[in-house]
Amino acid sequence: MSRDVVIALFASGLGLMVPILLASLGEILCEQAGVLNVGIEGTMLFGGATFAAVGAYYDNLAVAMLAGALAGAVVGVILSALYVRRGTDQIVTGLLFTIFALGVTGTLSAQLLGGKTASTLTPWKFPLIGRIPGFGEVIKQNQLFWITLLLVVAVHYLLRRTWWGLHLRAVGEQPHAASSAGLNVWRLRYSALILGNALVALGGATLVAASSGRFFTESTAGRGYIALGVVVVARWNPYGALAVSWLFGISQALRSAAEQIAFLDPVPVDFWSALPYIVTIIAVLVSRGSRYPAAVGIPWREPSTSRRK
Amino acid sequence: METESLSLGDTRPQASEENSRDTLAGVYDTLSGIYAFFRRARILTSILLTLGIMAAIAAAFGANPVTVAWAIVRNSVSRQLVLGETIMAASVLALTGLAAAIPFTARLWNIGGEGQMFAGAIASVILGLTLPENIAPVPFILILIIGGGLGGAIWGLIPGLLKAYFNVSEIVTSLMLNFVAIWASSFVVNVAFSNVYSQMRTLSIHENARFPVFWETADVDIGVFIALGAALVAWLMLARTSLGFSIRAIGSNPNAARLAGVKTRKVTVSAFVAAGFAGGLAGSVAIQEILNYTLAADFWLYNYGYLGIAVALLARLNPLAILPGAFLFSALKVGSNSLLATAGVSSSLGNVLIATFLILLLVTGVIQSRTSQAQASQ
Repeated sequence: MSRDVVIALFASGLGLMVPILLASLGEILCEQAGVLNVGIEGTMLFGGATFAAVGAYYDNLAVAMLAGALAGAVVGVILSALYVRRGTDQIVTGLLFTIFALGVTGTLSAQLLGGKTASTLTPWKFPLIGRIPGFGEVIKQNQLFWITLLLVVAVHYLLRRTWWGLHLRAVGEQPHAASSAGLNVWRLRYSALILGNALVALGGATLVAASSGRFFTESTAGRGYIALGVVVVARWNPYGALAVSWLFGISQALRSAAEQIAFLDPVPVDFWSALPYIVTIIAVLVSRGSRYPAAVGIPWREPSTSRRK
Repeated sequence: METESLSLGDTRPQASEENSRDTLAGVYDTLSGIYAFFRRARILTSILLTLGIMAAIAAAFGANPVTVAWAIVRNSVSRQLVLGETIMAASVLALTGLAAAIPFTARLWNIGGEGQMFAGAIASVILGLTLPENIAPVPFILILIIGGGLGGAIWGLIPGLLKAYFNVSEIVTSLMLNFVAIWASSFVVNVAFSNVYSQMRTLSIHENARFPVFWETADVDIGVFIALGAALVAWLMLARTSLGFSIRAIGSNPNAARLAGVKTRKVTVSAFVAAGFAGGLAGSVAIQEILNYTLAADFWLYNYGYLGIAVALLARLNPLAILPGAFLFSALKVGSNSLLATAGVSSSLGNVLIATFLILLLVTGVIQSRTSQAQASQ
């Protein structure tokens, strides 16, 4: 196992981490507000498809990325109308939404895109420290990687240092108490879902942008669901999500690295493909002490309107 | 008299206004009557809204909605061959529907129907390829069915045990196991039993292991009876046995059930094993007529496992109601398969149709949110 292989493993692990991390950040926001967003996979699909569609016709990465995130925000509005306003079952709605997204994005990519590709992200070399052997290669990542790191800090700041974040967490734990204290549970959950889904969709867009620039409905391959696990293991802490997502990135990167490591070569490649999912199960099992915010998954009704069926 | 006519005369300038106010009130009454009707006829409303949304989506993709609707009907039930395809897909959907419905009744979210189906398919294919060719058809087929069921049951056992004894979220574990099973099937297809003549498929299972086709012109095999039988057994189990009672008890109030002496852990594991068995049967039915006696690498694109959840919800978790529900969704799915050729839109539209319909059923409250029910009872 040569040094180059390890460096390549770390570097591509960091690259593969980005979509999962963005999805996890979005999910953290939703769950801290008391909404279990199982539709995260569908949101990623919409983000990826929108990025590919806009990128194919308008050759500007930043605009396409923003369009992807905006699609996520729109999805957030739709989902909050279902989860929050109508109070439908969050698990069931999320799953159905994912099936819906599979269908819509599949149709969209088949009808609109054909073989068109969007432009892709390119790794960006740091001017000075990029020359340090080893370290330089590891930090040679695309722009979105650095933006994502900033977003980790931003989400943490939002949740732990602002009134909005405090209110959000109150609503996720004790919506009735929060409502009695004068907070608008609905509005807080709307905002969390809109912002959260925008981040998730950005993750989906990254997935397309960091690979071939072509959108496939298979491209998410359960990464949204992996993010559901990451959030539990990271205990709803954005920095924790960073560390855990990196582990998942590495477990994905092992697939290509295993070919270059002699004693891992006989293991079939399908095992490496399945590894991230197995790691998720084990990680969730190990961190079983981790507790969901109390109100997660439970639709909230305003007490005064409950008599009106 | 005079005063009356006077008053009539007095009100004359206002008469038209009053009239229009009456008309307005009439229109308002009619409208609110219609609104109230649609609020009450929630299923009809959902169907109409679904049709409206689908027509809009089809039109947005440049297709004629009527052509699309007609193509779906024609390509799902009109000819014997497509009807047979619909019936076979419905059998698989009914079984994956049971894999969702049984644990959902206990408010255990088994989203692993897909993986359990794949585990069953893998087990059946391996048995059908490795066992000696000369086993008589009847025992061979029974081995394949039970082997497939057991394969799925083992796959269901894992999230069941993790949920019951370690309180690990069954949503995450059962979902993850789907992908593990799909990659395992990729190994079986591409490496372990790869077919030199046709990539993306395993070798064909032995002649004696194949389900007999009893309706030749439509290619319908005995898998249909497996689905019918399983639905009946599941219904009897849920409605008439103590295990079924315990499952329903946990579903309506887990704390009360535990206090009343229901062995929650055992029931959780049993529900998952039963669900896994049904999912495994789905896999063992699918590898027969549908996949042409092989396991195909692109089988996961069918999404039968996830659509099973939709079927279970449509049937309100009633195992017998799952059968017509599975047929409906199967017709939509099979009917939309050839949309690209007939109406010029992608076949993915079938998924959109099913999901839109169910989401609207959720929104209109036809499918009750089980969590809020339990919440209300606490």
